[in-house]
Amino acid sequence: MRLLIADDEPLARERLRALIGELGGIEVAGEAADGREVLTQCATLQPDCVLLDIAMPVMDGLEAARHLTGFDPPPAVIFCTAYDEHALAAFEASAVDYVVKPVRRERLSAALERARRFTGEQYRAVGERLGAVPQRTHICARLRGNLKLVPVADVAYFLAEDKYVAVRHAGGEVLVEESLKALEDEFGERFVRIHRNCLVATDRLSGLRRTPDGRMFADVRDAPEPLEVSRRNLPALRRLVKSL
Amino acid sequence: MTIDSPLVERRRKPRPDTWLPDFCSLPVLFALLIVAELVVLVILLAPHRAGAPALQRVFVASVYVQWLAVCCAFCLCRLRPAIARLPVARGVAMAYASVVAIVALGSALVYWIDHATGMDLTVPADNALRFVGGSTLIAALVAAAAFRYFYVQAQWQRGVQAHARAQVAALQARIRPHFLFNSMNTIASLIRTRPQDAERAVEDLGELFRATLRGGEGASTLAAEIELVEHYLAIERLRFGERLGVAWRIDGLPRELAVPPLLLQPLVENAVLHGIQPLAEGGSILIEGTVEAGSVRIMVRNPRPARPPPLARGNRSAIDNIRQRLFYHYGSAGRLELEEGAGYYAATLTIPRA
Repeated sequence: MRLLIADDEPLARERLRALIGELGGIEVAGEAADGREVLTQCATLQPDCVLLDIAMPVMDGLEAARHLTGFDPPPAVIFCTAYDEHALAAFEASAVDYVVKPVRRERLSAALERARRFTGEQYRAVGERLGAVPQRTHICARLRGNLKLVPVADVAYFLAEDKYVAVRHAGGEVLVEESLKALEDEFGERFVRIHRNCLVATDRLSGLRRTPDGRMFADVRDAPEPLEVSRRNLPALRRLVKSL
Repeated sequence: MTIDSPLVERRRKPRPDTWLPDFCSLPVLFALLIVAELVVLVILLAPHRAGAPALQRVFVASVYVQWLAVCCAFCLCRLRPAIARLPVARGVAMAYASVVAIVALGSALVYWIDHATGMDLTVPADNALRFVGGSTLIAALVAAAAFRYFYVQAQWQRGVQAHARAQVAALQARIRPHFLFNSMNTIASLIRTRPQDAERAVEDLGELFRATLRGGEGASTLAAEIELVEHYLAIERLRFGERLGVAWRIDGLPRELAVPPLLLQPLVENAVLHGIQPLAEGGSILIEGTVEAGSVRIMVRNPRPARPPPLARGNRSAIDNIRQRLFYHYGSAGRLELEEGAGYYAATLTIPRA
């Protein structure tokens, strides 16, 4: 079994590595110091299991685990936490195991044994539990094997196209397989619906304009061109632009 | 724990929080009757033209005063909910006026009954004004003293309760399970590879918990508080490695200055928790002390992530606790000011120099 160790504290990683070395039969494929690194490492190293600390900078372990449910195949996740009773309560009954710090060797061994028997089917149940986790801080795009992480704060708009949603951000554009409705539900306070197929970050809206043929367009910073506003969403958008 | 008792007392017997004691309760009623009896004895024992007080006089006067006292108790008991709702000054006025009125009416009634039935137990006829006026005046003086006592006692009790609550809050704020378990994990890791560092870390952790378990009680000096922060930072440096930088600028500080304990370390802990931990590349904490005419200012400044992650929601209880204890020790001269700037966060303690 190949394992990824994720913890922002070097000494904590060092200890896990030592314990795993003593257990034998497990290869430590790599280490990560924050949630973003977990995802990029998982995309390249494809470990079978991740030992995941919950309190990490940039992206915490819970969010990283949530993104991992979208991986194919998803790695088994063992949460590793100092003290997080709420998080633990959420995972107590799930297929994912957890260990508490300071980590005991026997406990870690049992958790790894469970991870060995882990199937992708079980992970879907976990994914449902993780749905209750607070908003994601990043959008994770994994099309054609390439992993791209976009901070939600950098997103200018989501535009639905066929079966994908295009995520336009300060540095370009990525495609994700998520529904616009789900994105709106999750990030509703940051984004506003301007069209059936488009959500725009309210802090990127700079104005509205009408074309000679009577159609309305919104000026959005970081967008290559103005985005069309539907008649239905116009009144609410007008009020919003006025209040900005 | 002894500090719990006022809180437990309150929980067991919920009642409006008022300065006026509950005259329906037996202990208070008993105390009132004792005081009334003492007043009778004081009056009758005072050097008097009539010579030594006869036993009969004592008995009659006692019945009279006790009757008045019970009437007052009954009235105050009934009025207590209304008084509790009033502002203190008006509540005192209302309670006082009702006691004086009851004694005035009661003594007039007794005088009238006495002379109507011809028992002649009070004073000779035609002395109504002296009897009623004297009784009322004595009641007014005794009631004034008693109310003053009730008020002062209520203030004192409130102070004790506030202090107990602050102590409980201090303990809760100080025991951060995350810190404890992460530190133990760090030590477990060090024992294998760097046993001497592990030893140091256990010592540092010991100092920190010793200070924490005192719950902010007792006195300390600035030097001791700075040392405590150093113990704390030594542990965090093991955990965060190069991500945690610290700059001290405290050369001018009067190290021997007496300060309440645990004012500075929680601020540094907050700086690590909200400033260093959320940043992947870490950052540097600045601890800067300046000396002014009448006070010492210590600023703890940390970098701040542009987008605070959801897990790092600000824990204000440590801040509230420090403010409470500053107020307790220095009144409004001790302050804790917080400042949020572009990319940084600063907390500044102002401690007066006695």
